[in-house]
Amino acid sequence: MTRCPTHHHKHHQHLLLLPTLLSRSPPTFTAILTKPSLSSAVALFETLKKDFSAATPDLKKCGQHLSTLKLHLTQLSFLQPTASQKELLLTREILELGAQHAIKSHDIPAFERYISQLKTYYTASTATPLPASQRQYPLLGLNLLRLLAQNRIAEFHTELEQIDPDQLGNLYIKHPISVEQSLMEGSYNRVWNSKSNVPGEEYLFFIDILMGTIRNEIGSCAEKAYERLPISDAQTLLYFKSAKEVTDFAAQRGWTVSGSSIVFVTQQATDAGKLEIPAPKVIRDALSYARELERIGEFIRFRCIVKLTLWFQFNLPSPITLFSRERNT
Amino acid sequence: MSATTTSNEDPKFVIAEMRQHILLLEKSVNSNESRFATRAIRGTASIRKRLNGKVLGAAAAALLPKDAVARLGLARFTQSSDMDVDAVAADAKVSSVVPEIEVYFGFLTLLFLHDSAANAHGLTFSSELVEYIQKLNRRSLDQLSAKIYFYYERFSEIANRLAEVRPTLLAALRTATLRHDDETQAVLLNLLLRNYIHFNLYDQADKLVAKTTFPETAGNSQSARYFYYLGRIKAIQLDYTASHSDLVQAIRKAPKNPKSAGFQQAVHKLAIIVQLLTGEIPERSLFREPFLLKALVPYLSITQAVRIGDLAKFQDTLAKHTATFRADKTYTLILRLRHNVIKTGIRMISLAYSKISLRDICLKLQLDSEEDAEYIVAKAIRDGVIDAVLDHENGFMKSKENVDIYSTNEPQNAFHQRISFCLNLHNESVKALRFPYAQRKEQSTMDALREEERLIAGELAEGDLADDDDMGDF
Repeated sequence: MTRCPTHHHKHHQHLLLLPTLLSRSPPTFTAILTKPSLSSAVALFETLKKDFSAATPDLKKCGQHLSTLKLHLTQLSFLQPTASQKELLLTREILELGAQHAIKSHDIPAFERYISQLKTYYTASTATPLPASQRQYPLLGLNLLRLLAQNRIAEFHTELEQIDPDQLGNLYIKHPISVEQSLMEGSYNRVWNSKSNVPGEEYLFFIDILMGTIRNEIGSCAEKAYERLPISDAQTLLYFKSAKEVTDFAAQRGWTVSGSSIVFVTQQATDAGKLEIPAPKVIRDALSYARELERIGEFIRFRCIVKLTLWFQFNLPSPITLFSRERNT
Repeated sequence: MSATTTSNEDPKFVIAEMRQHILLLEKSVNSNESRFATRAIRGTASIRKRLNGKVLGAAAAALLPKDAVARLGLARFTQSSDMDVDAVAADAKVSSVVPEIEVYFGFLTLLFLHDSAANAHGLTFSSELVEYIQKLNRRSLDQLSAKIYFYYERFSEIANRLAEVRPTLLAALRTATLRHDDETQAVLLNLLLRNYIHFNLYDQADKLVAKTTFPETAGNSQSARYFYYLGRIKAIQLDYTASHSDLVQAIRKAPKNPKSAGFQQAVHKLAIIVQLLTGEIPERSLFREPFLLKALVPYLSITQAVRIGDLAKFQDTLAKHTATFRADKTYTLILRLRHNVIKTGIRMISLAYSKISLRDICLKLQLDSEEDAEYIVAKAIRDGVIDAVLDHENGFMKSKENVDIYSTNEPQNAFHQRISFCLNLHNESVKALRFPYAQRKEQSTMDALREEERLIAGELAEGDLADDDDMGDF
């Protein structure tokens, strides 16, 4: 490295200018970036942290800083558990900040990416285990809630299994767990109430998404469960603020509104569907039985052949000679 | 299994038995017939109980050439025997052996190290052996290498270094797949799945299953394990029906002997929970099986709570046996049962009452509020658990008249399910059938064959799945 300092310097400048060209971030910020080293990354991160912790952080600017920092990280040992502990800790903190930034700027795919990168650091089997991060469980809990909001229940449970069983009572983890349970039971009221006791304000973002899903769930339940429902009651049931919203929702789901109540007619249509004979399925099943039976028959024939060959092979009296002998006597 | 027996049996007998196995192994190498090697490996069960440092040392001196002993570094683990080694060695001095014999000795040493809890030694020695067999690359080694990998993983597990062996196992799996080494492939797949599930890495385990095919020719004990792991992965991912059918397969394939009781208990525990999650109730007789009786007590009370829809009893049992369920890794699955309990409760109410107020439902099921009760009942109606209508203005639930189940397609589905189960059973039995060697005519060969058959049957009864109890907890 020391052999050719000028060339080396140029090379990195070229690389590091790339994000600045793209994002047009202020020159003062990139001035620190003369050489990718741990100390410069730390300095960069400190600036970012200060910007981000402001009362009303400039999210766009922070995003630009983050992408510069990430590029910086790739030149250190990014995502490798073999790096030095100091470096690992720094990377973890940067990623955690990135995840928080993604939530603040409502960028769900970016949040998902940060979490999957962070998991390397949370579960890494490094030589000396990293000290537990304070933000680990808040972020993992958020991730669980995200999966619920996106209705990815199977993945929710897969993720949940990875969480240390002792941490299931953790405030941040308990919340999504109880939300999931209420969802499965149908206690939508409790999900609605959980809005008031979220462990962190970031959780509200996903709870709001979740409420949209829940409204649709309640709607589909109501279709089946009620014959008619007054609009005022529907308003409370669906957590709407005005009757107008209810009629809009009803129109969206194709419900008929007569007078002051909603009448559900879908009931009969499904009943008629139930009585139908599922012809294709019956045919398919019957054909498969026939094929299997044919196979069993073939197997019995095959066994007879084997028996006959064995008969001849061991010079036992063949069935034919037996038969002729019988005739002789 | 503690096999450091104190019996003062003359090592000569053990060595004689080992010599038999070595002959079998040589025969297997020369004739390219893997079944001889299988027999030799199966026979180790009886030797294993009699192994100790002295026997191993004497046997190595008698049956292995000096350079092989040095190559394996056996001297680390064996004790120099006070027995007159030369006397044993004199009658059959070996100058060179096929590598299979060396690995066979390595395998015996591993067994000895495992049984005498010399885990640190076991870990180093097994990784040396793994390196050695990878360098050798001989098809006739396949069965032995499967065993070596098994103990390699086992020792790493004891040493709590499972995450480190993963790359080695994955590389070995790739090689085994390319070489159609079914035995090793099956063992490695199971070891990797076990490894992932140990760390609760279910998505990685799922990806591994999706990207690989389990060899059909694998032995029953390996496929039983594989199905168990599959069932576990699918249960976590909420695919209960598929999970249950996998677990039933695992139960059927698992050998029914006391040695595999641990495995059977683990499978049954999981199967009960999964069956409850699908909405069915397990047979009462299952809980009376002598080898399951004790292990399944907590599961019995959970089942009872679900069956009668008693939420209070469910919570009680859950609180009482939390530690057990956590150890069995069924805790999170059982948590999911809560809404099944509620569903059953609603179904009971709907059967018993033709009209009931939401308030009473709320009291009976111990729910938080009437609003919650309304949502829950509405959801039950939508999911087809009950057939009823809600009246919001007057706040009651009215059950519809019970429909004749025979007017629906339900019986047809049940019929289909049973038939396909039977047909599947038949097909698998046909696949498992073996026919006698038809071309041998002479009486003497027939006798020899029968004798061999009898021997194999004896060994099967004695030593099948000897390593099942080495697995630790499931």
